[in-house]
Amino acid sequence: MTASQNQFCGRTRREFLWQSGGGFGATALSGMLGQDFFARQAHAVDGSSFVNPMAAKKPMTDPKAKAVIFLFMYGGPSQVDTFDHKPKLYPLDGKSIQVKTFGRGGHRNEGRVVGPKWAFKPYGKSGKMISDLFPNLGTCADDIAFIHSMYAESPIHGSAMLMMNSGRVLSGHPALGSWVTYGLGSENQNLPGFVVMLDPTGGPISGPKNWASGYMPAAYQATVIKADKHPILHLQPPKDLTESAQRRLLDTLNERNQAHMATRTDNSELAARIASYELAFQMQTHAPEAVDFTKESKATLDDYGINEKRTSDFGRKCLLARRLVERGVRYIQIYSGGAHNDDNWDAHSDIVANHTKHAGNTDRPIAALLRDLKQRGMLESTIVVWGGEFGRQPTAEYAQGTGRDHNAYGFTMWMAGGGIKGGVSVGETDELGAAAIKDRFHVKNLHATVLDRMGLDPNRLSYFYGGLDQKLVGVEHVEPIRQIMA
Amino acid sequence: MMIGSSTLALAVALVTTPFFADKSAEEHFEKSVWPLLQAKCLKCHGESKPKGGLRMDYRDGFLKGGDSGPSFVSGKPAESLFLKVIEYKDDIQMPPSGKLSEPELAILRQWVKSDLPWKKGIGADPSKVVKHEEKPKRIEAKDYWAYQPLKKVSPPRTKEQGWAKNPVDAFILSKLESKGLRPAPVADPISFLRRVTYDLTGLPPTPAEIEAFVADKSPNAVEKVVDRLLASPHYGEKWGRHWLDLVRFAETNGYERDGIKPYAWRYRDYVIRAFNSDKPFDRFVREQIAGDELPVEKDSQADADRIIATGYHRLGLWDDEPADPLQAKFDEYDDLVATTCQVFLGMTMNCARCHDHKIDPIPQKDYYRFLAFFADIPRFSNDRNPFSATALTDITPPSKRKVYEEELEARKKNIATLESQLRKIEDIGISRMSGEDKDAALANDREAVLKAKLKGVLKPEENKEYGKLKRELGELKKQKAPESQELALSVNQCRVKPEPVKLLVRGNPHSPSDVVTPGFPIVVESREPAIPEPKAESKTSGRRKVLADWIASPENRLTSRVFVNRLWQHHFGRGIVGTTNDFGQFGETPTHPDLLDWLANDFVEGGWKIKRMHKMILLSATYQSSAVASPDVAQAASKVDPANTLLWKFPMRRLSAEEVRDSMLTVSGSLNEAMGGPSVYPPIPPEVLAGQSVPGQGWPTTQGPEANRRSIYVHVKRSLQLPILSQHDQADTDTSCPVRYTTVVPTQALGLLNSSFTQEQAGIFAKKLLRDAPASLEDQLTLATRLTTGRAPTAKQLQIDKALIQDLVKNHGMNDETALRQYCLMALNTNEFFFLD
Repeated sequence: MTASQNQFCGRTRREFLWQSGGGFGATALSGMLGQDFFARQAHAVDGSSFVNPMAAKKPMTDPKAKAVIFLFMYGGPSQVDTFDHKPKLYPLDGKSIQVKTFGRGGHRNEGRVVGPKWAFKPYGKSGKMISDLFPNLGTCADDIAFIHSMYAESPIHGSAMLMMNSGRVLSGHPALGSWVTYGLGSENQNLPGFVVMLDPTGGPISGPKNWASGYMPAAYQATVIKADKHPILHLQPPKDLTESAQRRLLDTLNERNQAHMATRTDNSELAARIASYELAFQMQTHAPEAVDFTKESKATLDDYGINEKRTSDFGRKCLLARRLVERGVRYIQIYSGGAHNDDNWDAHSDIVANHTKHAGNTDRPIAALLRDLKQRGMLESTIVVWGGEFGRQPTAEYAQGTGRDHNAYGFTMWMAGGGIKGGVSVGETDELGAAAIKDRFHVKNLHATVLDRMGLDPNRLSYFYGGLDQKLVGVEHVEPIRQIMA
Repeated sequence: MMIGSSTLALAVALVTTPFFADKSAEEHFEKSVWPLLQAKCLKCHGESKPKGGLRMDYRDGFLKGGDSGPSFVSGKPAESLFLKVIEYKDDIQMPPSGKLSEPELAILRQWVKSDLPWKKGIGADPSKVVKHEEKPKRIEAKDYWAYQPLKKVSPPRTKEQGWAKNPVDAFILSKLESKGLRPAPVADPISFLRRVTYDLTGLPPTPAEIEAFVADKSPNAVEKVVDRLLASPHYGEKWGRHWLDLVRFAETNGYERDGIKPYAWRYRDYVIRAFNSDKPFDRFVREQIAGDELPVEKDSQADADRIIATGYHRLGLWDDEPADPLQAKFDEYDDLVATTCQVFLGMTMNCARCHDHKIDPIPQKDYYRFLAFFADIPRFSNDRNPFSATALTDITPPSKRKVYEEELEARKKNIATLESQLRKIEDIGISRMSGEDKDAALANDREAVLKAKLKGVLKPEENKEYGKLKRELGELKKQKAPESQELALSVNQCRVKPEPVKLLVRGNPHSPSDVVTPGFPIVVESREPAIPEPKAESKTSGRRKVLADWIASPENRLTSRVFVNRLWQHHFGRGIVGTTNDFGQFGETPTHPDLLDWLANDFVEGGWKIKRMHKMILLSATYQSSAVASPDVAQAASKVDPANTLLWKFPMRRLSAEEVRDSMLTVSGSLNEAMGGPSVYPPIPPEVLAGQSVPGQGWPTTQGPEANRRSIYVHVKRSLQLPILSQHDQADTDTSCPVRYTTVVPTQALGLLNSSFTQEQAGIFAKKLLRDAPASLEDQLTLATRLTTGRAPTAKQLQIDKALIQDLVKNHGMNDETALRQYCLMALNTNEFFFLD
């Protein structure tokens, strides 16, 4: 995807070859060991030299950022209890009102208001009103652009998750992280370019579908990474195989493979596969190094809340995210919340207990991440996105209690960092916080903003599949959210 | 007042902007309306790429409208789509960024009411507005190869005589000669036997088979091998898998619950059976599209098969909780249209869902006409229960029926009794209702009225009784089928008279337009389908059979071409048309168009039999040529045909995902060759299960030898895949997968080196070597090489291998068996094991 003029119907010549059975592996690994290695050894089936699909690629436009950290608040945080201050909602607590809602419980026209359960106060120069759930994050308000008028197409977890991750309520489409790495590759070949970190309670609904590459090659799907000693699946050699013994084994394997390739020099897949073993071997050292926090200062660890039980898990993930960005990883997604019910932000029965728990686990680590990135000069080239697959309703789901049902008519997300203005808020929901009414932004606008800031034109970045030039944002032109773009 | 009546305005509207004498109206427009339009509308509906084809920067733009029709009809302000849309009273709500404020709306209301007065000179000049519907140039059907009838072609004459073994070769050689190239020499027997054995069965040849083939000097040695392999039951497992890729085979529905598709395995077994029994392809087509509409077969398996085959319609994604049920319904139809057109016809009809196809001559109407063939198929389920009567059919053979029929009969009686008891209570309730409710209940709204009002009119004890009966009924209906009953995933409860299908404007199910009737794509078929009036006893509309007959007719110019192209693809790694699901203009053109037509004709004339096509292709000199060309040819070819599309050598390929796993199991001796039946669930590492919202859900791990069944029998769960399969580019199941990618990423190597699966197989492999070649290490290494590569090791390789083992023992603290196990792991990782010449 270096330049559009190289494309045929939106495909590069090489993508065209993958699809027509020319083989993708043939094109896979050059660059990983330096372009020279492959320039000497191999040619693609069309006679051109190879490009590794994950090799760093030139952006389409002037990029404002080079990495993304998507903090996914799975389950759907309530906007009126977090960042969307609705003073008029408090006194309505307990009253029945007319309001159109659509959630798990279907369409309704009236409901009992659950007043916001936290007070809001102003933060920073911008005076941004933020709820008491986020005392730490509040201090970063001037670095954040809040989008209060998000809306999505589905208030049901499964399809809404797919929407937020891949732009479509239908399964089978590549994730945002797949698009970013497809467009830009990754800067460190010793680590995966697109990674996802899961909540200790489990994955989100639909699991791996949320970070799948859909109709793109599997090279663009996320690798699950963990912030502990075994960060990547199958990274550890078996106990009875020492590193030196494994090296010895790989040397013989290499010898065998070289002999095999000697008479088959024109098949570049063979060279690519040989190289992949060297990379795997390197990954075995590099990945554990990335999660080794021993060289981080105590102050840093404290700041991320790693030494406190409740914030330790999310703190480790946020710190790992920073370390991965430092190492050139392109796209990192971290899930706050997993599994079902109150293991994530899905507060159907008790908003207070639920949000106290999840905000409490994440507020400090996220604030630390923003500060840390900023202090290291990395925030200006890293996009941080915060939000869930939808928001929650201003009214109660049940006759009793403070639970709120899902709400895709209006919710808040925020972005910070590369190419994003700080201290601004755009869009509005109505007085109840029930639906976006002013400057409404579809999930696709958010996706377009991320791509745009990464130097990818959301309306041109395409992948040819099923007879169509597929785009993350769909066929119709989609504008990025200009009001928050620096 | 404006000049002229509304009819006059209409008449002139398309040529010029009406002249408005009313100064104040003009002023209102200029001061209030135009700034609003500019601020809120023209960004998307101006001159450049107007969305939905609608332009709002001149008055005629409103009258002409866009994809959703005119925005404004002069003289009928109340019906103005423009007003509905800005008032957020339509499905389309504009501007999308938020509803206009009340004062803004008032301005526009007033403007619409006064018939859209416009001031001359503002906005675009209507006389200069060019047609904005400029579309990419669509080629005429008559000029495009894929839409032409099959050509009767004879194999060409070639300069070189003696190389060609059959007509296939003549076509290949003639092209090579035209470029000054020569075919590669004949492949060595071991490479050939590996190639053909994998291509037909997906498994490696055994050392004994290799020995026998190398020793067989008879002129028909190759033919004997091909016959043997085509007769192997493993043939259906290999070729069935190709078909399953195409039809997006999966055993779950996707989405949040990713619940099961009951008995999907029967469809998988049906496909394997169809290939193994060499079912004619035209019959295979008819059974899948319309098996339920075909005559009853005498043989009970054959009769069950025609029903099981319709599981084809049930394999797609199904959202059990869609946010927009109507949209979901049409997404499901889209799955059928897209899959059917791509798989059987090589057409991307799906591109015409929202608008005319951008480049192929497929009007949008054709999409909906095609969709109408499927309109009798009800949704997979009408509630969230995946065990739905609409998707299951009883195929129990008559001999087994009696037992459960009695049980079912009893259950039915119970249900009837409960239902009549419920009805009695309901009737009492209705009799107490108000007149209006009573009328509604007695008309069509009984269910709705009961739901809303019944509780309120019943006495407490009646309510209690009613609830109890309801629960009992629910339980009874929920009970699963008796064990002796055999069910098939299929279409069922089809509609004899389907609802009319309407063209959907911009593909939006909430914007229905004209009714369409079933029709074939006009680009390849000018005839209208003759759909017979359903007979009294019909259970379906009969439309699908008409479609199936058309697809499977010898005259259909796409079906046979598309299928023989797939046969070629899986023997040579690439189709004659590389884009095997798309013969349209976004696809590739055939490298050997005459060969394609010759094969297609031969296929149809030979009764659509697949095995004889394999045999012809495999007995060609082309298929038997070496993967290594002579150096001078390679040199010349690297300039004129670097991609080897002309086949100057045989293209190497990597093993497919299933072949990787199945080969490891075969080599280690742990493959369980049992065929058919419900799927198995080999162990998945806990780290991978942790990605699920409920780790392990839907994956009841299979232990022991059952876990070592061939990969085609591994449960296909949309949201969870076996790592070794997904890492090696297993088909994505959400849409038809015509070509597998071959990716190379380091995480594959990690899995192959460190996963417990490969470690375990290496251990079993080592034990087998010690058992089968106990005499010496050299014997063990020789056997290992034979099993993983087909050949005997060279002296040099033996030396290297021995050195490795000795070094591992001497310097890395391993015992002999551990060292041999690590050696086995290495052997299972070699390129020679992973690639076929």
